[in-house]
Amino acid sequence: MRTRLSRKITLNVLALGVFALSVFPVYWMVLTAFKPTKNIQAETPSFFPTHVTFTHFGTAVHADGFWTFWRNSAFVAISAVLLSLVVACLAAYAVGRMKWKGRQAFILMVFIAQMTPWEALLIPMYVIARDTDMLDKLPILTLIYFMMTLPFTIVTLRGFLKGIPVELEEAAQVDGCNQFQAFRRIVFPLLAPGLLSTSLFGFITAWNEFAFANLLIIKNQDQRTLPVWLSSFSNTFGTDWGATMAAATLFMLPVLLIFLVLQGRVTTGVAAGAVKG
Amino acid sequence: MKFRSLAVAATAALSLTALAACGSSGGDDDAAAGPTTIDVWLMKGSVSDDFLKRFTDDFAAKHTDIKANVQIQEWNGIGPKIIGALASKDAPDVIEVGNTQVAQYSASGGVKDLTDKKADLKGDDWIEGLAGPGNYEGKQYGIPYYAANRVVLYRKDLFTAAGITAPPKTREEWLAATAKVNTGGNQGIYLPGQNFYVLSGFIWDEGGDLAVKEGDSWKGGLATPEALKGMDFYKQIQALGKGPKDSDEAKPTQTDVFAQGKIAQMIAVPGAAELIAAANPALKDKIGYFPIPGKTADKPGAVFTGGSDLIIPEASANQDAAYTFIKELAGEQWQTDLAKTMKYVPNRTSLAASVGADEGVAAMAAGAANGKATPNSPNWAAVEAKNPIKEYQTKVLTGGDPAAAAKAADEIITQALNTK
Amino acid sequence: MAVAQAETTTAAPATEPGSPGSVRRGRPLWARVLPYLLVAPTVIGTAYLLAYPLVRNLLISFQKFGIAQLIRGGAEFVGIDNYRQILSDQKFWGVVARTFVFTAINVGLIMVLATLVALLIGALGKWMRFAVMGGLVVAWAIPVIAATTVFQWLFQSQLGVVNWVLVAIGFDQFDGKAWFADGNSTFAIIVMLIVWQSVPFAALTLYAAMTTVPKELHESAQIDGAGSVKTFVLITFPILRPMFGLILCLEVIWVFKSFVQIWAISQGGPGDATLTLPVYAYQIATVLNRYDLGAAISMVTVLILAVVLLAYFRQMFKEEGEL
Repeated sequence: MRTRLSRKITLNVLALGVFALSVFPVYWMVLTAFKPTKNIQAETPSFFPTHVTFTHFGTAVHADGFWTFWRNSAFVAISAVLLSLVVACLAAYAVGRMKWKGRQAFILMVFIAQMTPWEALLIPMYVIARDTDMLDKLPILTLIYFMMTLPFTIVTLRGFLKGIPVELEEAAQVDGCNQFQAFRRIVFPLLAPGLLSTSLFGFITAWNEFAFANLLIIKNQDQRTLPVWLSSFSNTFGTDWGATMAAATLFMLPVLLIFLVLQGRVTTGVAAGAVKG
Repeated sequence: MKFRSLAVAATAALSLTALAACGSSGGDDDAAAGPTTIDVWLMKGSVSDDFLKRFTDDFAAKHTDIKANVQIQEWNGIGPKIIGALASKDAPDVIEVGNTQVAQYSASGGVKDLTDKKADLKGDDWIEGLAGPGNYEGKQYGIPYYAANRVVLYRKDLFTAAGITAPPKTREEWLAATAKVNTGGNQGIYLPGQNFYVLSGFIWDEGGDLAVKEGDSWKGGLATPEALKGMDFYKQIQALGKGPKDSDEAKPTQTDVFAQGKIAQMIAVPGAAELIAAANPALKDKIGYFPIPGKTADKPGAVFTGGSDLIIPEASANQDAAYTFIKELAGEQWQTDLAKTMKYVPNRTSLAASVGADEGVAAMAAGAANGKATPNSPNWAAVEAKNPIKEYQTKVLTGGDPAAAAKAADEIITQALNTK
Repeated sequence: MAVAQAETTTAAPATEPGSPGSVRRGRPLWARVLPYLLVAPTVIGTAYLLAYPLVRNLLISFQKFGIAQLIRGGAEFVGIDNYRQILSDQKFWGVVARTFVFTAINVGLIMVLATLVALLIGALGKWMRFAVMGGLVVAWAIPVIAATTVFQWLFQSQLGVVNWVLVAIGFDQFDGKAWFADGNSTFAIIVMLIVWQSVPFAALTLYAAMTTVPKELHESAQIDGAGSVKTFVLITFPILRPMFGLILCLEVIWVFKSFVQIWAISQGGPGDATLTLPVYAYQIATVLNRYDLGAAISMVTVLILAVVLLAYFRQMFKEEGEL
């Protein structure tokens, strides 16, 4: 019979293994960002940097329009995520807590919307944007990214909502809250893990998207987004991989930040959810 | 209240959206009064910042009625971007386009026909590798801008140490020299298996081609005896080093590998030397150049002419001002300056002599005289996107039957080029 | 206790399901309209940003539409010619079959690994859990271009880490092995990349769903003597099933349509070894600027996916009806 300690050790070893496998390619990327160019393709690969250089980060940061890119991407990603969270919460609540005609059809529509072939919609979206004069403007990207993440967000929040018994809200209402207060005080904290995954998903989708950003922002250089910056270290002779990897490292940091912030609140939320018992 | 704050957040997001839409609408709209502003798209790295400043300052001084707004574009994703620009209602006025891409835009109807300006630009003097691709069905859409072709970069110190006194001029000399330096932990030549530009040169030297137009249709040319001879030579020279057989010169970036210091030769444009020197300053003065050897000593090997053309979108609102810009940039004064500053081949053959004595440029110009372009079809871009030639190369280098592999690749090329 | 409550919710006919605090007969007007108001933004968004472009796309698939038509207009109607051209191409069905195999292998690996990782996370102590989740987020967040490049570097024939490590351990046959020259090894590397990139999302979302399973259920199961496997099968999984189904559905869709990684690494090669439907579409449509063919293939893809996921949709529709 396994002792608790040996079980704990096995689990932790497995955890370290999972961690190592997840992180190794990323580690390699960050390592490359710090290696001087001539060491990047060394015959004997080095797993720890022998010489550390910050030149690549310098190149990445001094790229033309660096701050513009970050500002634009932040605006587009955050507004898309916020918009989709709000709209999805409303829709999930309606689907998960109310009975109305057309509810089945609605949720089916949302499921099918997840199958949207976005890569094929590049040209139609371009034509529509051109005809409604939305080319070269960031909000069209916000709207597209919002729509990309909305179906998944609705379905996930609905799923989480279903797992939260109605009785909890009813109990709160008996205690004097109205419908909205009950939602906010009782349900919302319990939705926190779902909000974390959907926010991360939405943010990563918007943050990384290149095809639409490349096609729909044409002449207005001030409206370009970060993925354009990421691929800007290629020129006629080849790609400056040190700078690209440095840029990619910086590119990833906001996602990590969001995870750290949200995960902290999720843990608090889940703890608060102990009210369920 | 969380619900209300959600609503606030939503309103905030939506109003930010609306505000931003208002804020960024309409850019430069007053073309009536004041100078005409033209938007010019140049590709990243095609001109140095220094050259650009000199050119735009001079242009502004010479043409006070035109303000040129130059935007540097990234190579990645430029294809869809140009298409989006050509199809928009408000296109840029001048676009730099790679010479292997220009044919598809010419065929689209979105580019202005500049045949009538050819004489004004001294078009008869243009180098074929740039003028040909810019010409579609007899009409000139792309104006030659600049060209570059490959030479052999070599380590002068390693050659001297091996007792080689002069750069090779024929294939036999080249193979012998490379074998001599392919010792002692150094690679004789770093030639990735899938560098199809270099292969093209070898094929052209034999009299073959990648694809041949017969009447109205194309036919892939890799299976011809001449092309097979070209591939055979590629195999021989490639074997004198450790270039990856399943990859090209970008994976990994060959200048990064050369910068390690253990490679005696590499085939690249002369400008690559700067990247090597930047990565490893110790190699800076050790790099020499010679044109790719041909079959005989009097004619250097054929090379692929890479470069760009300039086009004016039909949707441009300032086509005359755009032409003025192009005329300056493609004119004698600035072509000579460009060639000297950037180590390019100028767009006119008569200007080749005036580019100065830089060793790399001289080697490149010698090769440029024998420069050719890829088959001039609007569908060639499709062939390069999923490149059957590269796969063919890898198959042969990893021991496959050349004739069979060539036939398979030819079928793909034929089909792609003949698609309507 | 929560179990009992959950059961009451689904079984009790007495309480009108939904609207907490509602009166049995005749709800006020605003309460009846409210659901429609709540879903209105979604419906409007979907109509304008999704349905309309999709209809446009469908239209294009029935027209002759290339760069010229995009720039100058005047796209003429050609009926089902585009579809005929695609479906009669003898390569097409081979590509579809290969895409199915590709999807099955990837999704199978992803779901199994994600479930195991999610369970692992649940069983860890606070700090280890945080570290593993962080590691997964990092793998999820890495830009695709960086990930594909790193994977290509790792498997380089001359300078790659993988060959170096294998030779160092003693497998000399891997010295200079050209992984990307062989169809099967290229396929395997791409599978590895896609699984590596997809497991984080699936694992984290599954784990999030697992946290909603009340601890008391696990505890009472343990008291009853059930081992971890039994607990999972009988307690955790049934509660998790909807989320599991959702993620499975999403992964099938995403993997079936994955393009960037395959294109960047092999462009569908060597030969046709990694030529899946999206890569094929890019090859015969996008690079030739044949937007009409591309539209037709995308419609066919949606149809294929709808058929594949039909069972899932029916199940979900039924579930929704029960509520």
